[in-house]
Amino acid sequence: MKKQIAVIGLEMHCELKSNSKVFSGAKNSYSETPNVNISAIDMAFPGTLPVVNKKCIKDALKISLALNCKQPEYMYFDRKNYYYPDLPKGYQITQMDSPVGVDGKIEIEVNDKLVPIYIHDVHLEEDTASLDHYFDTSTIDYNRAGVPLLELVTEPCMHTAEEAVAFLEHIINVYKYLDVSDADTKKGQVRCDVNVSIMDEDSEDFGTKVEVKNVNSLGGVFNTINYEIKRQTELKEAGRYNEVEQETRRWDEETQSTIRMRSKVDAIDYKYFVEPNLPKFKISNEWLKEIKLEIPKLHLERKYNYINNYGLSSYDAGVLVKDKVISDYFEECIDLGIDAKTSANWITTQILGYINNNDINISDLYLTPKRLKDLTDSVNKGDISSKQAKEIFNKVIEEKKEVKDFITKDNAQISDRTELEIIIDEILSNNTSQIEEYKNGKTNLFDYFVGQVMKNTRGKANPVLTKEILTDRLNG
Amino acid sequence: MGKFTKEMVDDLADKLLIGLTEEENKMVLDEFEIIDKTIDMINEIDGIKNIEPMTHALDDFEFVLREDIAKESISVEDALRNAGATEGREIEVPKVVD
Amino acid sequence: MNKSIKELHELLINNEITSEELIKESLEKSEIVQEKYNAFVTICHDAKSSAITDELISGIPFGVKDNFSTKGVLSTGSSNTLNNYVPFFNATVIERLFNKGAVMVNKTVLDEFGMGGTGTTGHTGTVLNPWDKTRMCAGSSAGSACAVAAGVYPYALGSDTGDSIRKPAAYCGIVGYKPTYGMLSRYGLFPFASSMDHVGVLSRSVEDAAIVVDAMKGIDENDMTTWDSSHINLTESLTGDVKCKKLFYIKELCDINNYDNPSDELKLHLENFNKTLELCKDLGVEVKEESVDQKVLNAIDSVYVVLSCAEATSNMSNLTGIIFGPRGNSTNITEMMKEHRTKGFSPLIKRRFVIGSYVLQSENQDRYFKNAQKLRRLIVDIMKKFFKEYDGLILPVGTGPAKTLVGEADKLDNNTSALDEHLQIGNFGGFPSITIPNGFVNNLPVGVNITGNCYDDANVLNIAYALESKMSYKGQIAKEVK
Repeated sequence: MKKQIAVIGLEMHCELKSNSKVFSGAKNSYSETPNVNISAIDMAFPGTLPVVNKKCIKDALKISLALNCKQPEYMYFDRKNYYYPDLPKGYQITQMDSPVGVDGKIEIEVNDKLVPIYIHDVHLEEDTASLDHYFDTSTIDYNRAGVPLLELVTEPCMHTAEEAVAFLEHIINVYKYLDVSDADTKKGQVRCDVNVSIMDEDSEDFGTKVEVKNVNSLGGVFNTINYEIKRQTELKEAGRYNEVEQETRRWDEETQSTIRMRSKVDAIDYKYFVEPNLPKFKISNEWLKEIKLEIPKLHLERKYNYINNYGLSSYDAGVLVKDKVISDYFEECIDLGIDAKTSANWITTQILGYINNNDINISDLYLTPKRLKDLTDSVNKGDISSKQAKEIFNKVIEEKKEVKDFITKDNAQISDRTELEIIIDEILSNNTSQIEEYKNGKTNLFDYFVGQVMKNTRGKANPVLTKEILTDRLNG
Repeated sequence: MGKFTKEMVDDLADKLLIGLTEEENKMVLDEFEIIDKTIDMINEIDGIKNIEPMTHALDDFEFVLREDIAKESISVEDALRNAGATEGREIEVPKVVD
Repeated sequence: MNKSIKELHELLINNEITSEELIKESLEKSEIVQEKYNAFVTICHDAKSSAITDELISGIPFGVKDNFSTKGVLSTGSSNTLNNYVPFFNATVIERLFNKGAVMVNKTVLDEFGMGGTGTTGHTGTVLNPWDKTRMCAGSSAGSACAVAAGVYPYALGSDTGDSIRKPAAYCGIVGYKPTYGMLSRYGLFPFASSMDHVGVLSRSVEDAAIVVDAMKGIDENDMTTWDSSHINLTESLTGDVKCKKLFYIKELCDINNYDNPSDELKLHLENFNKTLELCKDLGVEVKEESVDQKVLNAIDSVYVVLSCAEATSNMSNLTGIIFGPRGNSTNITEMMKEHRTKGFSPLIKRRFVIGSYVLQSENQDRYFKNAQKLRRLIVDIMKKFFKEYDGLILPVGTGPAKTLVGEADKLDNNTSALDEHLQIGNFGGFPSITIPNGFVNNLPVGVNITGNCYDDANVLNIAYALESKMSYKGQIAKEVK
């Protein structure tokens, strides 16, 4: 058999952040207590109508712009009709005809290489209620019904599980940079449908596409793809490729395998049509321009900027851009004039170490970029040693004081020549025998004198100046 | 009788979660024939192909998008009052299986 | 209770009558009308009087079609799927009337969820015409039309998706008005076909209709299709001065020669219509004949059926018996929902759902649903072109007086006359449209309709008001003639 390549497409659903739900005024917030964030329309009480949340539209447009999609001239919504107990209206309001973005293209990094990913469309829709299952009953909680969901559909343009996961990680980071979603996979905020087919390497004909629904973790996506590639390839090798059906399957965590749900023949006809209760509205260029201005530089762009313009290592740059607030902190440091590598060192070691150990956000860190600048300036001026700087770093944070408070009182180096000369002369006068020995050729005693000065000044003597004065005195 | 069959009507009804009697099924078939003829007539109307489908009664007014302000939830009593079966704060139904 | 809103208001503020007395009278009449014509789903025996204020409607009873959500009061849509549903919120329009002191005394019968034009498909049975019990009220606002005509109160709320206010108004000899789409909020109205559903009012005079709509209109944050109408005051617009206004009628619908074997009723109806046109001319209104492609006219009903059935099948997907409505008994969730729907919906609705579902199927959408949407626009564009030149379209309502109750009702009929269905044009375009009584055929009332351009409600109502004042049917109460 010829070498096989896999063709993978993803549909990624991600809950968006907002105060209220996408079509109702109920709070958009996760709650363990059932039915605390609900409005009449979330349960489809007769006569209730959807009302679009402006922020959700804006954030969806922001995503569309950030993924280089084309935006429609008019925005409107469609109904996707099907019966399921978690869908109170009997239809989901989504976008079919005129999604918030189409034909996007982005580059992602896979093993330090840039790979293009093509986006079919992104659209805004509403989440369903959630079901809990018991022995012979299920219960329905409507807190999640109507939570804004952004669905992103890629073209079938990926070829490995690794690439697919890298893409998802990339998008999650984009959403976080845009501040439109927490994209927390642990809270079920990201859910994926995965399409997998295989084909001969040199062929142009796509194989049979299998869709795996509701894969809820990145690990699950990785395993699903590899499982499907293996399953389909084995069937093909065995001459039984006709058993690979165009069908919908689901990923089963327990058995680590995909299980058939329904074939294409049984596919539901969703009978899409335009939602009449939500008028069409024009997306003005002015609004798009405004939204565009709010889009920050994204992580990959920042990473290459740090490598190419600041001379950082790929590793360090990667660490810095992993979280937008860290990257913003770094850039603030640069803007304040702190040396890029120095900033990077401080952030990747001391600062990340501290905030991780203490489980705080960098934006809540008392040591602001401005204070970090005071600290690094003091080191540069020779007022304090690097070792002292690290101690002061902790003291500033713990005592919530300024850097200078610790330099003037305790830690300031003795850099005044006259003051140091008096101290050194005093020490030398108490060590006449050692001076004798030194002059007779035991030159390694020089370090002994330096040590004495340091001991005497509790390490605060400026080491350069100390050596200078000692050389002068001993050799003069 | 051409493209509309009893089986098709039953299948459509089934997917809508409704059952039809034989008589009802037959009436639907008759109505389909009428609609179908009218649609043929519509297709003969000049320029119909190039018209943009009309989806809303009005498409010429400015409306305001809702500001993102959360309102208080309806009470769980109101939410559940009309339901046939409840369990705690939730509506209960026969077990839902995929 | 036979009086107009303004007359009742005068009596109330002069303490010649109290709100309690009005409510008592209205409830007593409700009992009689229920007994005779079966117009109500619920009579609110515990209706409380309210303070008399400057608001014209304060302290005065009114009726509500049972497809409006009313807090704490059974709201069924005249369907077994909701035969036990008690909402916890009021429709916006009801809330506004309550805030102005109006008193709801009953909920009126309709064709199940508004899907029908006979008043025979409600789950509590057929509503009979108060002029002749062997005839229908038409629908779907059958109970509201019947009660207003019988003098239970000065006005009742209705909804209108095809002609559901304006047809029964004609059959019962009263006024039926649906304003421009979006002038009244639909929040709390059980949806039938959202893009064509209108809230409106049935009353015994144009002025009463204007007063009630003035009290309800305005932007609603719960309905995105509402618009700001604060610059419009309908009641104050009723000057009666209509000199130099221009109306047109459609030749193909009004020319008796266009009908093979016309019935006597149709002949008399059209003759009566022509008399009304003469009255218009007497008022200084210019009336002209215009022509519309017969093919387009004949397709109106199919466009309506395709679009309304499609939207309805989706709108009523929330009726599964899970959150509200009687539950099916099955222990299988799908069977449970199916039982609720199969038992709960009347045969007419089920048939319409199947049609709606068929025309929306992906392989059929272009041929049926999208084509119907295209023709909808074509028809609306034709009307808008006329409205550039004319203040309104004037046409007879239906093919005569109320139809008898025998025979197959609401079956899609190949021979359906375009004359019976033209009011749907008003729903396609969201146009303001009002029916007023314009005489009698065989001792039964008939109506005439005036439809104008969107947002031009004040103008349309003023023309109707002027015409009403040239005739003697204003405020008429039904009396059984048979």
